[in-house]
Amino acid sequence: MSQDYPALDFSTVIASTVHDMKNSLTTLTQAHSQWLSRLPDPAQHSPEQGVIEYEFAHLNGMLVQLLGLYKLGVNQLPLQPAYHELDDFLEAQLASHQEVFASRGILATYEVDPLCPLGFFDRELVASVLANIINNAIRHARGSLLISVSDEGGQLVLTINDDGDGYPAEMIESQADYVQGINYYSSSTGLGLYFAGRIAALHQRNGVCGRTRLSNGGPLGGGVFGLYLP
Amino acid sequence: MLSYHQKSFLIVDDFSDFRSSVRSMLRELGVKDVDTADTGEQALRMCSQKAYDFILQDFHLGDGKKNGQQVLEDLMIEKLISHESVFVMVTAETSQAMVLSALEHEPDAYLTKPFNRSGLAQRLERLEQRKNLLKPILQALDRGKPLEVLKACIELCKKDIRYSPLCLRYRADALRDLNQNEALERLYDSIIADRPLPWAFAGLGQLLFKRGQVSQAKGIYEKALKVFPMMPALYDGMADVLVVEGDTRGAQRVLEEAIRLSPLAVRRQALLGKLAMTNEDFDTASRAYRQAVSQGAQSRFKDAESNLGLAYALICKGSDKGLDTRTRLEINTTLSLVAKENPTDPGLQIRARLMKATSLLLNDAETAERLTEQAMMRLDDMEQFMSAEAALLVAKQLQMLGQASAGASMLKNCAEIYGDDPVVMKGIAKLTDDPTILNSSGAAAELNRQGVRVYKTGNLVEARAVFRKALALQPKNISIALNMAQSLLHGTDTSVPSAEIEECRVCLKMVGLMPDTDARYPRYQKLKIKAFGG
Repeated sequence: MSQDYPALDFSTVIASTVHDMKNSLTTLTQAHSQWLSRLPDPAQHSPEQGVIEYEFAHLNGMLVQLLGLYKLGVNQLPLQPAYHELDDFLEAQLASHQEVFASRGILATYEVDPLCPLGFFDRELVASVLANIINNAIRHARGSLLISVSDEGGQLVLTINDDGDGYPAEMIESQADYVQGINYYSSSTGLGLYFAGRIAALHQRNGVCGRTRLSNGGPLGGGVFGLYLP
Repeated sequence: MLSYHQKSFLIVDDFSDFRSSVRSMLRELGVKDVDTADTGEQALRMCSQKAYDFILQDFHLGDGKKNGQQVLEDLMIEKLISHESVFVMVTAETSQAMVLSALEHEPDAYLTKPFNRSGLAQRLERLEQRKNLLKPILQALDRGKPLEVLKACIELCKKDIRYSPLCLRYRADALRDLNQNEALERLYDSIIADRPLPWAFAGLGQLLFKRGQVSQAKGIYEKALKVFPMMPALYDGMADVLVVEGDTRGAQRVLEEAIRLSPLAVRRQALLGKLAMTNEDFDTASRAYRQAVSQGAQSRFKDAESNLGLAYALICKGSDKGLDTRTRLEINTTLSLVAKENPTDPGLQIRARLMKATSLLLNDAETAERLTEQAMMRLDDMEQFMSAEAALLVAKQLQMLGQASAGASMLKNCAEIYGDDPVVMKGIAKLTDDPTILNSSGAAAELNRQGVRVYKTGNLVEARAVFRKALALQPKNISIALNMAQSLLHGTDTSVPSAEIEECRVCLKMVGLMPDTDARYPRYQKLKIKAFGG
């Protein structure tokens, strides 16, 4: 008997496994929330509950990101840009983290510049970036999180602010490395930045590519993640 | 208070856990009117009986079942939902195969699993608001009045210019429906100059192609594919261009690329099958037709032509020794479906039998002969015209099955019906050397051209006389009969009986035998409405 099995394409194996994991997580999340709704009120708001909600969202965000990275790798991430109402878009991103905000006592708000109510981008891709960044911000925020949208020289700028300790200085200094994928194995945050940078760069207009920018300060005094979309 | 409170909801998902989970979320949000369905077919039935305000449709309803996109297509084309209804596609992940196939009929929103109650509430609230904002446009769409759509867009932009990007697609579609090509081209150009939107590229390419500006269309598709290499609709457009340019191999390559991106597309698979047959690539043809048949089973784009195409591709693939058992079985299955599902279509009954007879020629001559006889009997009784392509294949197979004279009469008939089309005449020339057939159409075609010239000068009496002469030579010719009918209707009062109207009706009755897939069929319908009333 020949032992010549066709070579296993490991990234495809991972991608299809991740796909199954995601479905599994969906079922788990749903079953959990149904079970929860049958519990008496105090039990519904236990501290463990906050951990569970947060980790569900975190796991889901990571799986989405993994699938996204796989598709980037095999050049299968189609850009589907369209005009979107920004307040709708941001509300939707915050709503999906609502339980976690509630259980951690975080006040999450958004501000949209009334002069630019519409943005032009790929909704799903940008949403997956925001989900990761919001998740990260939740970990560091003390009590508030703010997403603001503005227009900077014709570019749409989405910033996610928190009131935590901010990004470490070396991370801000070497942010270009993360985005280029030089240093991204070191942490999940690094991988997230790489992903965000790639998604931003897929958005182009007249030769200008989208980008990301990390800084500290901002209206809440903590970490500031900026996503620039031309 | 939530505005979607009093609205009716339909949840379509094959998992009962999911249905009950969403149902209880909606209940908690105060929604009372919630129905559920577990298949697309059931959803369609329910939508035909009740007008739902919101439909939450799962994309994957299981293998071999209608998927969410197909349900949406059916709902739109059958007009089972209003444009004011909200259609949300629920997905495990936004997989490209799904998103990419949705350029024509887009859902109002995608909702990715898992979602929580606040996420659902937020989406529903916003979608309801959006529908309210666009209400005048959507109502005009429901009435099928593109001019009113345009007016409503202008009104909305006047009220708030910031929302004008939301109107772009509605405006473009309305201009397309109104055939306002110049305005439409300007709109597409201005959209593309500002933002590269995939649908604007596809629309502009189609417009240029439709107007015969093939090389410009090609330029647009080339440019668009650089920006959106993942958009199958752009490859489709490029393939159309290449076919017109005569590069059928290039067109096949481009379509194969589109199918690699988005394999779930019945019409695209069928078109690939046809192109591959032209290129004598029978492997690709049989694969593509096989896909078209199996995907088509659940789709509104199901087409017996794909079954016949599959059978023919398999026959062509076979060797001199005939076909193996498995291939014969596949041919038998796919052709039996054609015969079973189209009992009242004589053309398909004949073609399915001849195709099967051809497949059995080497292995079972006796059955082949019996099937051929059956087909020929039906052929004698058949009034309707086959498409030129079908007729030519029937003639060829009759010849192969030893029925030379039946084949010849088929060709003669074909030359009469389609004789003004040089491509068809070339096809006929491949199958016969008989000068009486090959030269049968020249004189009539020349008279027809002459009639068109006279008609353009406005001399109706003379034009009618020329068309009448042409039609006397070839009474079944579709082009001549349509021209005859049009010239008779021109300037004639259809409300009073007259010799012109009578002659026109006779003409149209004959043309009515053409296949409804013919490019001239819409023109025939317009004339028919004029001559016979609505």
